[in-house]
Amino acid sequence: MKSNTLLIRLLALAVAPFLTDCATTPKTGAAQPAAAVKAAGKEKAPARAALAQAGEKEDEYAAAEISDPLEPVNRGVFWVNDQLYTFVFKPIAKGYQLIFPKPVRKGIDNAFENVKYPVRFVNCALQGKFKRAGQETGKFFVNTIGGVGGIFQPAEKIPSLAHVPAEDTAQTLASWGIGHGPYIVLPLLGPSSVRDTVGLAGDYAANPVNWPYLYWNTGDWNIVPPASNTLRSMPGQFETYDAATKEAVDPYLSARSTYVQNRAEEARK
Amino acid sequence: MICRLLFSVALLAARPAAIAQLAEAEARLKSAVGEVLAVADRTASRGALHESLRPVLRKHVSFETMTRRAVGPGWRQFTPAQQQQATQLFSTLIIRSYSSKFTPGEHPAITYKTAASPAAGRVDVPTITVYKGSRFSVNYRMEQEQGWKITDVVIEGVSLIANYRSQLDAQFKKGGANAVISSLTQSVSRSR
Repeated sequence: MKSNTLLIRLLALAVAPFLTDCATTPKTGAAQPAAAVKAAGKEKAPARAALAQAGEKEDEYAAAEISDPLEPVNRGVFWVNDQLYTFVFKPIAKGYQLIFPKPVRKGIDNAFENVKYPVRFVNCALQGKFKRAGQETGKFFVNTIGGVGGIFQPAEKIPSLAHVPAEDTAQTLASWGIGHGPYIVLPLLGPSSVRDTVGLAGDYAANPVNWPYLYWNTGDWNIVPPASNTLRSMPGQFETYDAATKEAVDPYLSARSTYVQNRAEEARK
Repeated sequence: MICRLLFSVALLAARPAAIAQLAEAEARLKSAVGEVLAVADRTASRGALHESLRPVLRKHVSFETMTRRAVGPGWRQFTPAQQQQATQLFSTLIIRSYSSKFTPGEHPAITYKTAASPAAGRVDVPTITVYKGSRFSVNYRMEQEQGWKITDVVIEGVSLIANYRSQLDAQFKKGGANAVISSLTQSVSRSR
């Protein structure tokens, strides 16, 4: 009973900023998906016709794409991002990897992922995945208490709590039937879509790491938790980025395809 | 009556066949992965890896099917010579991109999950692969063409072939078979 009221309180706490944030951002999101669906529908028809002509029947590879009316702009942002990654952020990530040995980095990653619990919990609940919300809660308590503030992950040794797929706000929007809308390459953050940008804002607002900065007005140091969170997540993100772009024929299209396919998979889980 | 009898006989006959198919494809994949890992273990530097992996991968991967699907509907408009050239270039790219994922001294732990056969002559083998402390879902698509061959690898939902399709199809729409081949030539010569 007691943990129940705590849950409700946590839920309320996490939902409030999420809602206020949503009320300001999704104007573009609400307006554009309909248009995007239209555009995507238009594109699909001739592709299918060409396919029928070619007589290839097992063509499941034609799907899994996204409308990209902003492609010229996106390509520009993609190029700028690539330069920034290569000359500014990858060296910073390298330095971080050099200073902290791998087990330490793993512990730091674990702790930040553990703190992100409200994002996962709220989005499980908003998708009606109550069993998973319970698993997330169990995992959070086991890892926080048994894992010294989430540095270690004892919950992964408990079969019923191990490998719970992480939910986020964009997946919630997807589960409500909201499509991607146009593809957007965000400055610094990289591949996204209108829907997923709204999702990112939701995740950002619901992540306790950002609360001192967003809501508590606690002074200059409040930038430290979000900044450390960004720093620690960089090596992993660059690994994904390199995997998607290194041996590509067209890195822009490869990153886009990788993003769309991966998000679809995460939403399925 | 006879029809029904035949039908049930067919069913009975088909079931073990399907199961045998699953087992065969899975065994084939496991030995392929085993061979690849053994070669990767013997090769010290990452630079030499794509050379030493080439013969093993040629044996187990159908680069012809992969290239045809990565190009997509436009493939029909390639001349046989262009098809051969594209296959040659694309396999080099795939082998390289695959071998670049290995770090010397790191061993993946692979858990094979229940394989499924979505169609005759095709088996999908899902695995969970733990590599360098991270957990990935890696699904292998196997197809029967002169023995079981790998025709696609799907990592965390990202299909290798679908990924290249988006790129090569764009090239084809821009300038046909020649554009596809020159873009492949460029990528092959660009890296390394």
